Amino acid sequence: MSNNNLESVPGVAPAPSRYRNQISKYIIYRNDRCINCSKCVEVCKAGVHQQIGASSFSRPQEHKCIGVSCNACVDQCPEKALTVIINPMIEMLGDYRWTSDLILSTWYQAETGKLPPDGLEYCIGNSGGGFDRLRIKFPENPPIELKSDEISTSIPLNRRNDNAHRVEIGLPVYGGGMSYGSVGLSTILGKARAAKAWNTFTCTGEGGYHATLYPYDDHVITQVATGLFGVREDTIKRVKIVEFKYAQGAKPGLGGHLLGDKNTPDVAAMREAVAGTALFSPFPFHSVYSVEDHKKHVDWIKAMNPKALVSVKVSTPTDVDMVAIGSYYAEAHIIHIDGSYGGTGAAPNIAKKNIAMPIEYAIPKVHNFLKAEGVRDKITLIASGGIRTAHDVVKAIALGADGVVIGTAEMVALECVRCANCESGRGCPRGIATTDRELTHQFDPEWSGQRLINLLSSWHDQFVDILKKLGMKSVQELVGRHDCLEYEGVAIHGK
Amino acid sequence: MVNNFAEKVINSRERLKDDKVKGMPDRWQTEAEGGCGVVGFACSVPVRGRHIFEPSIQMHNRGNGKGGGIAAVGFNPKHFGISQETLDDCYLIQIALLDTESRAEVEKDCILPFMDVAHSSMIPTIDDYQEIGLEVKPPDVCQYFVRVKEDVLSRFIKENNLTGMDLRKAEDEFIYQNTFKLNKQFYASLGEKRAFVLSHGRNMIILKVVGYAEQAVQYYQMEDFKAHVWIAHQRYPTRGRLWHPGGAHPFIGLNEALVHNGDFANYYSVSEYLYQRNIQPLFLTDTEVSVLVFDLLNRTYGYPLEYIIEALAPTTELDFDQLPAEKQQIYRHIQEIHVHGSPDGPWLFIIARNDAENKRFQLIGITDTAMLRPQVFALQEGEIKIGIVGSEKQAIDAILNSLSKEDKRFHLIADKYWNARGGSHTDGGAFIFTLDENGGEQKGFVCADKFGRVIKTNENQTHPDLSISIQPPQQAQSIKERFAVCSAMELFEYLKNNLKEWDYNTFRWVCHEMVNIANENDGNKANIIEIFTLLNDKRYDTGTKKRSGILEIIKLTLHEVFEATKDLSHSDGENGKYKLIDFKRRNTLRAPRDNEQVLIINAHDFTPEGENCDSHLLVDAYNSGWKRFICYGYLGQRFCGCGLGLNTQGVRIDVYDSSGDYLASGIDGLEIFVHGNAQDQLGQIMKSGKLVIYGDAGQTFMYGAKGGSVYILGNVAGRPMINAVGKPRVVINGTCLDFLAESFMAGDPLNGGGFVILNGIEFDETQGKFVEQPTPYPGSNLFSLASGGAIYARDPHKKLVKAQLNGGEFASVTHDDWQVMLPYLQENERLFGISIEELLVVDGVCKEPEEVYRKITTSKKKVIVEVDEED
Repeated sequence: MSNNNLESVPGVAPAPSRYRNQISKYIIYRNDRCINCSKCVEVCKAGVHQQIGASSFSRPQEHKCIGVSCNACVDQCPEKALTVIINPMIEMLGDYRWTSDLILSTWYQAETGKLPPDGLEYCIGNSGGGFDRLRIKFPENPPIELKSDEISTSIPLNRRNDNAHRVEIGLPVYGGGMSYGSVGLSTILGKARAAKAWNTFTCTGEGGYHATLYPYDDHVITQVATGLFGVREDTIKRVKIVEFKYAQGAKPGLGGHLLGDKNTPDVAAMREAVAGTALFSPFPFHSVYSVEDHKKHVDWIKAMNPKALVSVKVSTPTDVDMVAIGSYYAEAHIIHIDGSYGGTGAAPNIAKKNIAMPIEYAIPKVHNFLKAEGVRDKITLIASGGIRTAHDVVKAIALGADGVVIGTAEMVALECVRCANCESGRGCPRGIATTDRELTHQFDPEWSGQRLINLLSSWHDQFVDILKKLGMKSVQELVGRHDCLEYEGVAIHGK
Repeated sequence: MVNNFAEKVINSRERLKDDKVKGMPDRWQTEAEGGCGVVGFACSVPVRGRHIFEPSIQMHNRGNGKGGGIAAVGFNPKHFGISQETLDDCYLIQIALLDTESRAEVEKDCILPFMDVAHSSMIPTIDDYQEIGLEVKPPDVCQYFVRVKEDVLSRFIKENNLTGMDLRKAEDEFIYQNTFKLNKQFYASLGEKRAFVLSHGRNMIILKVVGYAEQAVQYYQMEDFKAHVWIAHQRYPTRGRLWHPGGAHPFIGLNEALVHNGDFANYYSVSEYLYQRNIQPLFLTDTEVSVLVFDLLNRTYGYPLEYIIEALAPTTELDFDQLPAEKQQIYRHIQEIHVHGSPDGPWLFIIARNDAENKRFQLIGITDTAMLRPQVFALQEGEIKIGIVGSEKQAIDAILNSLSKEDKRFHLIADKYWNARGGSHTDGGAFIFTLDENGGEQKGFVCADKFGRVIKTNENQTHPDLSISIQPPQQAQSIKERFAVCSAMELFEYLKNNLKEWDYNTFRWVCHEMVNIANENDGNKANIIEIFTLLNDKRYDTGTKKRSGILEIIKLTLHEVFEATKDLSHSDGENGKYKLIDFKRRNTLRAPRDNEQVLIINAHDFTPEGENCDSHLLVDAYNSGWKRFICYGYLGQRFCGCGLGLNTQGVRIDVYDSSGDYLASGIDGLEIFVHGNAQDQLGQIMKSGKLVIYGDAGQTFMYGAKGGSVYILGNVAGRPMINAVGKPRVVINGTCLDFLAESFMAGDPLNGGGFVILNGIEFDETQGKFVEQPTPYPGSNLFSLASGGAIYARDPHKKLVKAQLNGGEFASVTHDDWQVMLPYLQENERLFGISIEELLVVDGVCKEPEEVYRKITTSKKKVIVEVDEED
């Protein structure tokens, strides 16, 4: 195991799908010519076929099947009793950014903690631009030979070296803010469990700090957003990181919005608001209309919690570099830029798709600007908004970020099918983005926590593997290494 | 007639424009900068530059030391060794030489061929700029008192078809255009920068540095330079490692200097608006375009000040409807024509101006329509008259403090502090302090709002002269006898009732005696503190003495009592109830011993924020066992009461003097009493506890609060209670600027939820009796988008109208409502002496609660979906 400040390696354990019929890329038919010869069990390397007793098979574990490129069971079945076809449902699953392959491969990693079998794309989507056309450029031979356990994936979050906590996280990844209300408690606690296991963080979002999160205080970021819902002095005092959410990339210029239907009595009680009414957060902080107001805002947090690290989350308008440098001068430790791809179901489509700069443009813009200003090594740059895969993380870092925040990827790990019903009320069919009392009981935090631990474990292994090929001892060496990227075969110059 | 020339003047500027850029280039790129600290004052006598010092230092946390500047208007000609006539008539061109070699070239190209120079000199500077903490050497500045040569001017008039124009106006335009050419030649915003014009108005100067504003005063040795009007600006630029003073405020029109706090969203639009009128900004900041718009409206279009203010901060919504019809017509035209030149966003302008045409100096403060920036105005009208505007009250108090140290005719406390209501029909969001010649030794002084309504204080009351020594009054013996027999409350009543008749000397003598008594033992000390706190907090008849004068004496008395307290190095058993700590002795902090109960914190030398802020000391003291605090000597130190944590019931903090922002934000259980006006962002996310303010409160009061009981004697500025939830219970005896309880979500007030009681009253200045304000709530937005809670407004004349509510509804106050309100009104009566009985009297007739109060509640229609009730 690599050096990433973990006391013990988070245990990967199987966390299979909650559903009897998990959606898979391939469907396998076994007809009645089967003679129970077990040949299929013998030839399948992916473990799709399992025999139960002498004369029956379990239902094929279709999601493990690597498909027609293998076809071993079909070809070698003496009775031609097996057929493998592409699941027609796949066409309906996902979208250009989150392709069905990415969803399925994320599920696979969340279940097993390992890379999916051949045939499932786990690095890029099919958007035709951005991270989907960027490639990591590996040297033919790594400049230095490294063993896996020599490679560190951890990053420090306090680069000001001031009196605030010296926080270092085990992976260059932490969990994004999702409020109690936008998601349910099993989701929130699962995220917290994974954050603790990987010595990283999760974030409260703007819905308060549920008492069941208290055991995870050292791994929770309290978000202070414009509605100040559920923000109290004790929620600021009990954590190591406080995040100001000025804007989010999915809907810059709009505040948070909890649909009335999601504002259940439990949620309303946490926010001390009136149940059943839609809760809007104002677009700006009413107390912050300038950088000096912001500085005062930061000072206030430090008056309550002098050792808190301060993160400033902003969207990516064209002058995001100015915002970043302003945050630096206002003594933020972390500047968190949230690009346009991410976003909750509740963000209006018109906003999600049309405002803010894609994150792959914003990262180098901010990174280079901070460098030119001579302060790049004094602030941690975190990127979010469309980080789906381990490869996206690596690309974001090579573009200039220190680390990333993920949101949708976590939801997918919990078997989100990206149906986008989160915007239409309490009815998340998968029980993730809901506080409905029946729907939320579909899973418990042990399961969700394990799924996320597994996903991060797989990502960790990929980071180590990539760094090894690049000959880098630490993920920190990769920051801003544009030369390690190419755009569909075109090298990117400069460092 | 000026307007005939407006077009010609605009045409004459055509050739100044940079014609290389056509279309929509990124020519309006702006430099990033945030809000800033701004302050300005106008005084009937000229005062020294050093008095802009203290407020500037106190505004450091509104700037970052990367740009500061000052402007001054109205000088003594002797300072320059010139005649009054030269000072009045000549333009004073000040050129900053970034490249010291450029002087000769500047003179050759831009001064000597066109101007008759009556006098010129270099501004003297100190030798070593680093000595005063500057990192970048400020430019040398040369000054020229000039008139445009006659032949040059007539050629200019002829070439530009300006024949018939007032010669002075034509000369003004020449100076303006000449400056523009000079700046373009010597100061390319994106290239080489060698020299630029700091100011060119008559009887006014601007100086700016890469540093703090007061360093400009120090470096250019302006400490003893006297002027009638001063403004200062601390800038907060956030870009670039190398700065130059060109981007710092103030910026010039012709005879005006403007500083600005905030920024606007439509910089591009305003720049385009100017460009269409042949005006091209050169310094890439929104402040420059602001003053260019002002100058355009003023000098080119010849608008009166009221219309200029209207063009900058339009009157909207309900306020517009309440204007007289003829004003509506004019304003509508102004808005239609100039909407694109109207800065949109948060801003506060302070303008120092030599209105040479009318032989007067002016200080103007204008706030934006939405009132998004903090702003305070103040007035002191004693032997000397002074008007002040600033981004924070403590900057105002700092000016008065600094002035009163030098000249006892100035006093520590202003007679009147107030906020402007941006874009309103009431005051127009702007106030103008005008100084003119009245033949006397001092200048004439008038404060008026946008509409010309004069604001003044009671002329029949006077300030004390503290330089006179105190004499025992005739009735000394009889007063002394009272001291011996009365309880604290009786004594307070006695003092309160007699103050009306006493002269200042008697009151000062009483105070002096009281201090001696207080020092005898702890019991006395407690009583005296209580008596003087009551005298400070309550309103009563002060006779011919100004309340501010009484308050000044009370303040000094309390300070004496506090300062006489022993520090923590003493342990004196039973007689040591009070202990004092200050910044110097902060390391003496320890747990309370023996009978020690009250920690007195002198906040004066603590920093406004950060580790050396008194709020940190208070948290440490609380953690080591202290529960009762008296904090005084504030100069705007922030965060008082923050950080003590959960369940702080039993803790009490009494706050005196100029307390700062974010006071009581986040508290859970403790009680804070603010004995005076309070600042911005109070009680944010407050969970529970009690907050009492014996004065006004600032912007975004109780934003996102969850609970607590709050009592405010005076008014509250903009955006109080926004996004508050849970169960806050608030009594506001005055009113609010606007946006009260927007998105209020505080449940059902009859069922444990929150509410605001809005009384809409104020105290008359002289007698200490309360009277109704013109309306309980002047704003256009009341309880907008609220989904819970209620407002109980005292509105017996039904002045509130449906148009002010956006989503709310009027309802009658029921018996149940009154039962919920009653305990809070009773406490309000106990705290402020505002009796429920009197509140229910309308025009001399006692009425029922439902006839006096109206309830504003959530609209029944608003429930979007039904939800399951709690199991």
